[in-house]
Amino acid sequence: MRLNRKAIEIKKLNYSYPDGTNALSDINLDIFEEESLGVVGPNGAGKSTLLLHLNGILQGEGSIKIFGEEINSGNLFHIRRKVGLVFQDPDNQLFMPTVFDDVAFGPLNMSLSKDEVHKLVDEALSKVDMLNFKNRSSHHLSFGEKKRISIATVLSMMPEILVLDEPSSNLDPYHRRQLIEFLNDISITRVIATHDLDLVLETCTRVVLLDDGEIVAEGSTVDVLKNKELLEAHSLEVPASVYLKEEKPTPGKS
Amino acid sequence: MRHSYIDKYSNINSPIHRLDARVKLIYSCIFILFVVFTPIEKFFSLALYGILTLTLILFSRVPLMFVLRRSSVAIPFVIVISIFIPFLEKAGSEGYSLGILNSRWLIFWNIAAKSFLCILTMILLVSTTKLPNLLKALEKMKVPLIFIMILSFMYRYIFVVTDELMRMQQAKKARSVGGSRWFHNKVLANMIGVLFLRTYERAENVYLAMSSRGFDGKIQTIDNFSFKLRDFYFLIAATGLLFFIRFLAA
Repeated sequence: MRLNRKAIEIKKLNYSYPDGTNALSDINLDIFEEESLGVVGPNGAGKSTLLLHLNGILQGEGSIKIFGEEINSGNLFHIRRKVGLVFQDPDNQLFMPTVFDDVAFGPLNMSLSKDEVHKLVDEALSKVDMLNFKNRSSHHLSFGEKKRISIATVLSMMPEILVLDEPSSNLDPYHRRQLIEFLNDISITRVIATHDLDLVLETCTRVVLLDDGEIVAEGSTVDVLKNKELLEAHSLEVPASVYLKEEKPTPGKS
Repeated sequence: MRHSYIDKYSNINSPIHRLDARVKLIYSCIFILFVVFTPIEKFFSLALYGILTLTLILFSRVPLMFVLRRSSVAIPFVIVISIFIPFLEKAGSEGYSLGILNSRWLIFWNIAAKSFLCILTMILLVSTTKLPNLLKALEKMKVPLIFIMILSFMYRYIFVVTDELMRMQQAKKARSVGGSRWFHNKVLANMIGVLFLRTYERAENVYLAMSSRGFDGKIQTIDNFSFKLRDFYFLIAATGLLFFIRFLAA
């Protein structure tokens, strides 16, 4: 695992909001290729803020390297091609009139040919099992459908790193299960920020616990999620499935 | 929450639905021009235009009652225009000769009939064409992209915003026990303010999502329009009929 090269390398990242509130302080984090990393923490811990740094939407002090390349204002398009960010609210992620247009939005911005765009859109929609929704309007869809298409809008750009903000929020158990299977099936680097610790347990190999803009713990998923004192000190709790299963749960393939 | 969408009958499979969106758009524009420029005394022409439109509606299999109900949007326009009719007539008696037809009622009916015909055609256009296709047709016809984007975002988000308003109203109702009318009006004003802030916030988030997918200020889309032979036939036949009605019949 650790033999893989670094996909993301964050060094001394500090960020404060325009109003002066400190959102991230001194974040140092390495994320390895093909790894699945869970970012957990209470509300307002800075999870989303951290994710927005990964493709240069926010740029704090410090350095973030994506496959060795430092993010700066000059290479944002290049970086955003590699780092696909899926937002929490699918109504923000899906802004075009039809599903096809939304999934094609990224590839079209990459100036690909018409045929390539069509191919990428079909592939991305097949991966989330939504191919026959291609010509539908986004606002006619259910929440679970929108959520899956949101992921497809990013997959169509063939990212090397997939960053998801609260992917399972508001999903019913069936679609949540499908999401977990999907996350375990793909092999690209994944960064998943969520409150859904059971999802983390099933899909992530490593976890960082963020509170008040700082990394307070980092380690293998089981080690962190079994630590009752640690989790409760940071407004989280040990997921029920840890108690239910005696043996170590099997996380994602990688 | 469910709303009625402006293009809710656009999924029917009919000869009119299958036409290229550009053809329907061009036809509608030509039709409106013909109707608007029909001389005031040509009742028969107007009736024929009406029959032509009615035939197209029947072919499209969009429920007639739906079209008629929708056409009521024309009423306010007709009323506003008819307010000016008394003044128009005075000018008319000096300026241009309307002869024996110079009557208030005739002008009124003329305006009413013409607006009704135009509205019917527009309803036919939007209820037989999916809005995304209509937008692409406009784009193909070189309407500036910024207008198309505004329409497109409006189509996408109007229902999201309506949903938010409905949820707020439900939350308000759930907590409203009594209170004066004035108080409720004040609450409504607050809700509008909150809605504005949320919309603004959403716009920012949508922009972030666009940037994340490589948006550089230029919207690019793909269309898969193909101008088929039947589109050509329709355009020729329909325009031919319009010419016939205008210059030969009556």
